[in-house]
Amino acid sequence: MSAVCAALAGDPVLAAHYADFRAKAEGALDPALVALVRQAVAQVHGIDSAPIDESTLDAGTRAAIAYARRMPFEHTAITDAEAAAMVAHLGEPGFVAFSVVTALADAECRAELVGLPGLAGV
Amino acid sequence: MSTTPRVSSAIAGEPAHFGSVLAHQPAIAESFFALYGRFWGSDVLAARIKEVARMRNARVTECGFCRNVRFDKAVAEGLGEEVVDDITDGYETSDKLTATEKAVLKFTDALIHDPDLLTGDAKAALQRHLTPAQIAELGLGVTLFLALAKALITMGLEPEVMDRTVLPTPAVLEAAE
Repeated sequence: MSAVCAALAGDPVLAAHYADFRAKAEGALDPALVALVRQAVAQVHGIDSAPIDESTLDAGTRAAIAYARRMPFEHTAITDAEAAAMVAHLGEPGFVAFSVVTALADAECRAELVGLPGLAGV
Repeated sequence: MSTTPRVSSAIAGEPAHFGSVLAHQPAIAESFFALYGRFWGSDVLAARIKEVARMRNARVTECGFCRNVRFDKAVAEGLGEEVVDDITDGYETSDKLTATEKAVLKFTDALIHDPDLLTGDAKAALQRHLTPAQIAELGLGVTLFLALAKALITMGLEPEVMDRTVLPTPAVLEAAE
């Protein structure tokens, strides 16, 4: 469970809305890619130390992981060319979902790092 | 940072903006607007407090669209421009922001920028001014503000020029309830 969902334990309706949004965003992408994106972003934040074996991944997926790693601290430096490569790999609908999932993964890591559930008394 | 859309509009006749681009994924869009409406419609945490956090996020993430939008509910609760102007570095010394708002801003900075900013004193101040339920709602809000600002920026949806715009506060869609 994400830190945000955990913190919302006292408001089941809002928690359900958040969980649904997260599930809809992730459900628009290949589950394997979602897991890799979450792992890559968590690594940047120092939360997940498990290395990603990129040797078995295709070039598009490797590029997606590299892109995801830039979201936490370099989002304004992502170039048109990098974004265009993601659009070519995922298609426009896929790129939209990927952008949401990657940014949400970053924000959820940050919520975990500030100890949001504990602050919310959970 | 690009002001040229990196994704086309999915709505015929409309330019690329957050809503028209998100329309490429109708299920995500519907779920997001239901969530956002529920969040802003909740009075557990005042809209003015939510907007203070949103404004801080807009400035730190460099989201020009977010920075120029105001939600009317927060304006009606007294969040005027003279207060918004103080939501900048050095807000700790503002005489226009309340102690609660300063505690909220410190939490916002910690979540979106550096978790070490949430020192013991900052944490105690947050928990003194807000209930656990309010902190949970604030945490959700800052998470969404940050994620959406970054998604918007990386999809190239930053406006080249934008005037300050007061918009209706997102609300729960009746059909979704």
